[in-house]
Amino acid sequence: MTEDQRIDTVSSTHDAGAQPSIEHAASSAAEQSSSSVPTIEMRHVDKHFGDLHVLRDINLRVEKGEVLVVIGPSGSGKSTLIRTINRLETIDSGEILLEGKTLPLEGKELAALRSEVGMVFQSFNLFAHKTILENVTMGPIQVLGMPKKEAEEKAMELLKRVGVAEQAAKVPAQLSGGQQQRVAIARSLAMNPKAMLFDEPTSALDPEMINEVLEVMVELAQGGMTMIVVTHEMNFARRVANRVIFMADGQIVEEDTPANFFDNPKTDRARDFLDSIKGH
Amino acid sequence: MGIGELISTYGEIYLQSLMKTWGMTLISFCLAMIIALVITVMRVSPMRPLRMAGDLYVQIFRNIPGVSLLVIVVYALPYLQLTLPYETCALVTITLVVSAFASENLMTGINTIGVGQIEAARSVGLSFGQILRHVVIPQALRSVVLPMTNLLIGTLLTTALASQVPLNPPELTGMVNYVNSRSVGGIGAFFISALGYAGTSVIIGLIGNRLDQRVRILR
Repeated sequence: MTEDQRIDTVSSTHDAGAQPSIEHAASSAAEQSSSSVPTIEMRHVDKHFGDLHVLRDINLRVEKGEVLVVIGPSGSGKSTLIRTINRLETIDSGEILLEGKTLPLEGKELAALRSEVGMVFQSFNLFAHKTILENVTMGPIQVLGMPKKEAEEKAMELLKRVGVAEQAAKVPAQLSGGQQQRVAIARSLAMNPKAMLFDEPTSALDPEMINEVLEVMVELAQGGMTMIVVTHEMNFARRVANRVIFMADGQIVEEDTPANFFDNPKTDRARDFLDSIKGH
Repeated sequence: MGIGELISTYGEIYLQSLMKTWGMTLISFCLAMIIALVITVMRVSPMRPLRMAGDLYVQIFRNIPGVSLLVIVVYALPYLQLTLPYETCALVTITLVVSAFASENLMTGINTIGVGQIEAARSVGLSFGQILRHVVIPQALRSVVLPMTNLLIGTLLTTALASQVPLNPPELTGMVNYVNSRSVGGIGAFFISALGYAGTSVIIGLIGNRLDQRVRILR
């Protein structure tokens, strides 16, 4: 990516931050699809775990500002799919590109790339021995070389944004699951990521804590963040997703707008799956 | 000779030998911790030859009896043109053995850290070295305070190996030979040394418990 493009994308992020409507975010993402490089692109990606073919010829484009929800039965490869994007899983063949650049294999470039793609895990994975504030400042200080004071100010701002600023001096075990997950989101945001990946971010939460996390994610989406979210939260998908992909047996079986997909699934597999999760 | 008489006759040199035991314990334990840290980092490194070398080190020094190792250090190293003073021989032996056990403790500590935290650190962009320094080692150290306390007591008791070489002043166990070759101290001479070991162990245990409670990671 050239310097000009970079400046351009940064400024457009700021524009998008000025409270656009959901429709606006969706349409701007659609507009860009024809003109600019996608933020994330997967081309013919295959992966095996031993004999198990977990990803089969995955092709995917996620445009800047787009929110993509990945849905599917367990074992369908949806977690593996997003974990390949910041290379927590390797791939056997195919190509993954970030803003048009191929994913580096190892070393410093890979670490740099990982810092540009935020990742939020099902089990929060906060650093247990660090305070909440330190959890958020570690990346900026160690990876971006930000001065400690600046990093702390920025971290407090982010913690305020996700609503856990008053917990800054505590350690993770003293927080509820919902609070921990919001801290994990702040930790990712502190790196100014170009995209955020969410791997079932609410699956480990008690029901009463799911919404507080989803709210933060909705705000992020409306702020123009490029997101891939593995989740079964249909209301979330309907509210903010531009697109839903349905995976089964390592393949993308169906791809559609949330309204079309949830109301009118085209394949039997998707219909069966939706029936099974609507029960709860 | 009664215990009272032993103490009045040899009290001062008993004290010196206690100091010697403490000194040897401290030196070999600190060196062992440093070596264990290096060996453990090798054992979790992404490079297979390093991992194998680290594992081999632990297997060798964990599985050789201390006395045998001391004999090797004292009698075999001179063939390699390396003749060390007796006290250094003892320190080297104790350090090698203790470092192998300390590395096993650290590995246990590392295994308590969820793989998720390491993935989170990687996804934030931290390098392998940064993950070790900021995420893995601090947590591993804090979760192995109690096993390391045990190992420190073990080190204290292992310094008795040095009674097999001539030292001046001798350490606590060597002291028993020293006393009994000069007076008829009998079991009393052992008893005084044993008090030195037991008293020190109790103190180490207490400090270890306090430290563990202070640094223990809430989960």
